[in-house]
Amino acid sequence: MPQPLHPSLPAVLADRAGRILHFLWSGWAGLAALCVLAAAWQAGHETYGAFILASPLATLREIGGLALEPESWSTAAMTLQRAVTGFALVAVAGVVLGVAAGYSPAALRITAPLITILLGIPPIAWIVLAMIWFGGSDATVRTVIVVTALPVVFLGAAHGIATRDRSLDRMAEAFGAGPLRRFLTVGLRQTTTTLFPAFALALGIAFKVAVMAELLANAGGIGGALADARINLDIAKALAWVVIAVAMLLLVEYTLVHPLKGEIDRWRRAAQPWGVRR
Amino acid sequence: MTGLVLEGVGHAYLGRFVLEGIDLRVAPGEIVALVGPSGCGKSTLVHVAAGLLAPRAGRIERAYLRHAMIFQDPCLMPWATAAGNIAYVLGLAGVPRRQRTRRIAEVAAEVALEAGDLAKYPVELSGGMRQRVAIARALAVRPDFIYFDEPFTALDVALRRRMQDLVIDTCAGGRLSGLFITHDLHEAVRIAHRIAVLDTRGHGILGERPLPGDPESRDDATVFRWVRSALAGDPLFRHIHDVDERQVA
Repeated sequence: MPQPLHPSLPAVLADRAGRILHFLWSGWAGLAALCVLAAAWQAGHETYGAFILASPLATLREIGGLALEPESWSTAAMTLQRAVTGFALVAVAGVVLGVAAGYSPAALRITAPLITILLGIPPIAWIVLAMIWFGGSDATVRTVIVVTALPVVFLGAAHGIATRDRSLDRMAEAFGAGPLRRFLTVGLRQTTTTLFPAFALALGIAFKVAVMAELLANAGGIGGALADARINLDIAKALAWVVIAVAMLLLVEYTLVHPLKGEIDRWRRAAQPWGVRR
Repeated sequence: MTGLVLEGVGHAYLGRFVLEGIDLRVAPGEIVALVGPSGCGKSTLVHVAAGLLAPRAGRIERAYLRHAMIFQDPCLMPWATAAGNIAYVLGLAGVPRRQRTRRIAEVAAEVALEAGDLAKYPVELSGGMRQRVAIARALAVRPDFIYFDEPFTALDVALRRRMQDLVIDTCAGGRLSGLFITHDLHEAVRIAHRIAVLDTRGHGILGERPLPGDPESRDDATVFRWVRSALAGDPLFRHIHDVDERQVA
């Protein structure tokens, strides 16, 4: 009996449901870690008092209060929009430049010191420059995100290409694949190993830098709300905004980056059924 | 018509000639085994012949319709299932999507791959099964010429024998021609119609020896006798087991 290449719909749905459950099940570990963090936070609160460190519960109440105000939603949405668009710019530019450099060892050698310089410049310096260039606007925040996170994605893509398995290139060529086809089907596919950790890191940088740039450039968003909380010495509100920023990062990471990675890295799970290495 | 003709082919790495003046012919329906000590440039020669490397000198005439290649390493894409790996080269060969499933089932049956194996990823398969998939992949594109680049060197003795039988069966009856690279004289004598010996330093083919009968009808005793007498008395095979680890291939 010929084996169907494309399995039947129920089989596909069952496989998909299994993978989603597996994904959700892995959330327990994350929840446990969050509970440990909350416990340490509570201990700090009980040691130093509510004025220095508001309790986790007070912070949650503050978040609940913020959730009822429509303007706090637009504040959060502004930061989310800036971070995600900045990250998208970084992802596209970093992958294009990194892949080009990965194929050219000379280009990689020339750019390596530039990357070191770029990584060495503190983000705060870029914030000052971007404020002078663009004022307190979206462009300021995005510029800072791009220059801070670009080296990470660039290196991820370049190393993915540079360390690819060349025997697969040879195989594809032996069976008649042209250079473009080889790049699209074999080269690009192999960058994912280094690219996805770089994406996760770049996304984290994007959110951190977005909030920082907003605070310093007085550009509204969560950074602006934090500045207000500082002026009013409202520690519970400041912590609430921090928690919201982190929650948004986790939301984007677990709805965008991780499902994509899971889809592309299906074969890796085949090697480790139930998370156990064969 | 001739399957493959190499005339005065040479290749150089970084200005140093690793192959020079290679003349070799493979007739249609014939398997030629190319033997030589490790590091004499056998693999380079097969890459040049298959068009993966451009020759620095000489002429190559490929009079076959389509070639396939089986590598020492199975070279399977780890992110695709066994069926996906075979489907990939079918796509490269221009086989329409609807016909691929049937073709995969056909070649899988030819090399005794089961339906369950086809759905597995290479990491889930053993070394022998991976090489089996690589053979199926090569056969899937219906080649009339196959390049074998030391395909079974990494396998253990029993498995190697089974793979050799598989190659002998699929090439039987002159359906396929091929160039089989190996440093194992036993393997060469089992599989080929003719043996060519490459010079230790890659300076030309030292000589050729025809083998008795067809590979499919040759029994073990004949193979064993032939190898023993060749190693004992034939000057052509004197340096076949020389090893120079320092020499770069």
